[in-house]
Amino acid sequence: MIYTVKSSALLIIGIVMLAWAGLNSSGAVDGMQSYLLASDYKDHVKVMKKYDAQVKEATEKAAAAGQPAPEMKMPASKFDHSKATQSKMSNYFGIAFVLIGLFTLVWKPKPGNLDYLISVVPGIAYILLIAFIVRWGLDPIFGNWGKAAEPALGWNFAKIFNLNYVVIGIVIGIVVVNVFKIPAWAANGVRTARFFLKTGVILLGTLYSAAELAQLGALSVVMIGIFVLGSVWMVLYMGKRMGTPNSMTAVLSAGMGVCGVSATVAAAPVVQAKAEEIAYTIGTILIWGVGCMFVFPTIGHLLNMGPVQFGAWAGTGILNSAQVAGAALAFDPHNIETLKVAEIFNITRVLFLPIIVLWLAAWYVKHEEGAEKVNLTQVLVAKFPVFVLGFIAMFALSSMGVFAPAGHYKGKYFSSTEIKEDKLLKSDETSAVQGELNRLRGAEGSQALSKYLTESHVTLGKRNVTSEDVYTALTELAANKKIMTREEDSVLESLAKMDGIDKAAKEAISNAHHAAYHTSKSIKAYRNWIAWLFAFGLIGLGMQITGKALKQAGGAPLVIGGVVGTVKAIGSLIVVMLFVKEFI
Amino acid sequence: MKNLKSILLAHHGTPGALLAEALALETAVAGQTQIVHLLVVPDFWEGMQGDDWLNNASTRDTFGSYVEGLLEADVKQQLRALEGRCAERGFAYKPVMRQGDPAQCLLETAVQEDVSMVVIGPPRPKGVPGYRSRMDIEKLARGLHVPLLMAARAAS
Repeated sequence: MIYTVKSSALLIIGIVMLAWAGLNSSGAVDGMQSYLLASDYKDHVKVMKKYDAQVKEATEKAAAAGQPAPEMKMPASKFDHSKATQSKMSNYFGIAFVLIGLFTLVWKPKPGNLDYLISVVPGIAYILLIAFIVRWGLDPIFGNWGKAAEPALGWNFAKIFNLNYVVIGIVIGIVVVNVFKIPAWAANGVRTARFFLKTGVILLGTLYSAAELAQLGALSVVMIGIFVLGSVWMVLYMGKRMGTPNSMTAVLSAGMGVCGVSATVAAAPVVQAKAEEIAYTIGTILIWGVGCMFVFPTIGHLLNMGPVQFGAWAGTGILNSAQVAGAALAFDPHNIETLKVAEIFNITRVLFLPIIVLWLAAWYVKHEEGAEKVNLTQVLVAKFPVFVLGFIAMFALSSMGVFAPAGHYKGKYFSSTEIKEDKLLKSDETSAVQGELNRLRGAEGSQALSKYLTESHVTLGKRNVTSEDVYTALTELAANKKIMTREEDSVLESLAKMDGIDKAAKEAISNAHHAAYHTSKSIKAYRNWIAWLFAFGLIGLGMQITGKALKQAGGAPLVIGGVVGTVKAIGSLIVVMLFVKEFI
Repeated sequence: MKNLKSILLAHHGTPGALLAEALALETAVAGQTQIVHLLVVPDFWEGMQGDDWLNNASTRDTFGSYVEGLLEADVKQQLRALEGRCAERGFAYKPVMRQGDPAQCLLETAVQEDVSMVVIGPPRPKGVPGYRSRMDIEKLARGLHVPLLMAARAAS
């Protein structure tokens, strides 16, 4: 069989990307980019003004000394960096697509691996082009419109309705498959979305600390354990009460309980579900999942939830795993902290999957006459999610410091030796620190400090922080104009939270803290790539959600699914709001 | 009815299709009319793996083969049953299987098989379980160049 479809589409996409790279590099679209990259452009204006002032000063000095004006180069602004990134990405992919596009047109494909590999490229290019348009174009446009309408509306509609690149991308994916249909030349490549999502999860493994993984893992096991087992039980109970066939009850409980469509796909053959039962179940789960993906982030913003709370809620309450990732990124699109939490929940769910499938298989055999017995080992091996091993491997390598210095896990690491001259505290800041030190050493200040440290249980490792620790940290900070150790940073961070601390001193501590923490370039790059991989994957998955499949939602599965899905979403929200704190 | 060379019967074993079958066999002339049995596997099955991404390829393949097996068994059962009933009544029988939009498949088959008439069942009443894959009657009426007969609903 030949997979490659001869088409000039790939070549055209490549040319469009190269054209965008060229327009960006030449500055021809700077006017448009200043609107799309509004925040970066503000920085550009600042840098430009500073540069102009420096040039003027240097020219005047040179003129006074009777020398020619010095040659100076304007430093790159965030705007320049963003444009350069767009140009670079468009260039790399554009060149690759043009070359492969030309090759496809002249090549006579023969069955084999090369044919298959070439056949997926146009689809990848197609999704990537949509991702570029969404991330660089539509996302900032909606962001700007939301801000512009805020004074009139009193609220930012783009933020509340999460009109960011993730949601827009998924919606475009759904529109493409249902309205325009996926072009034949792109069909094979669109299916690679799953591969890229899994790659994103594997790379995500680099961003966790052992403590973070342990805390989130424990939380997810408890939450998923309760809600998975609870909803599986609830479906089995309701199914029995409503008299639905055993196979329908079993396949529905897998979908409702574990990870939506994925669980249905895994469980259907094992519990010998009938065709219409599968159709009803998948339709119900998809319609519920897509709805939740739009509703959950809005509720999360309205309830002012943090990344851990929202990630835990979405990871538990949303039936379908693809929409968990979508909702997490929709809630927090430019920082992947929520995605990190939600994906731990997804991984826990998928690890629960073989166990639940086995449970349902055993249940089905017990309740259905003539049901075939299931080979437990075969099910466990066949259903094991191999990509989770990749995630664990990346986490292990990352923990060993392969990608970034130790303590890098949040993308930042502490180093006082790397602080640049211009990041040292200024004299007014050291004076503020010294002044606060003197005040805290006074009778009233020392009493207040001691009371604060005791009442707030401020600790350093396993011991309590003393007033002496605070004095030493402040003295060192004033003397060195920077924070010297991680311990002192921790002490000062706690101190800054104390009531009555001088505002200028608090600001100096904050500046010193930020100067001492450095962003790991490799981790920063991973974050960026992970966001792209998820955006790509979710657009591709959007293209797998057909209206015709959604329309199959119905029958008893819709009733049971509606009840169990609602109970799960509301129940997990209550548990999260009551017991889950932003502790990571 | 004279010159009724062949009747295209859209049939998938539903109560409505059984009504269509009864009408077609009543209309057809034994020894003269051929019953062309169109069985459509609805195209929504293409999207039935939805956005599953957590499973590995082997699990998805198992699911795909399982669903194909179910649909194939169902198709075979339907074909055998109608073929038997046609044989009993002395009608020539020809099965046609297609996958896609039911109305589109019917229009294409009508042309391809050069049928004299098309017989379909009444639309499924609301609330009755079944796939959400209905025949687009307007599309049929506009696209067909042969008479279209729709069986009356069963008296309730």
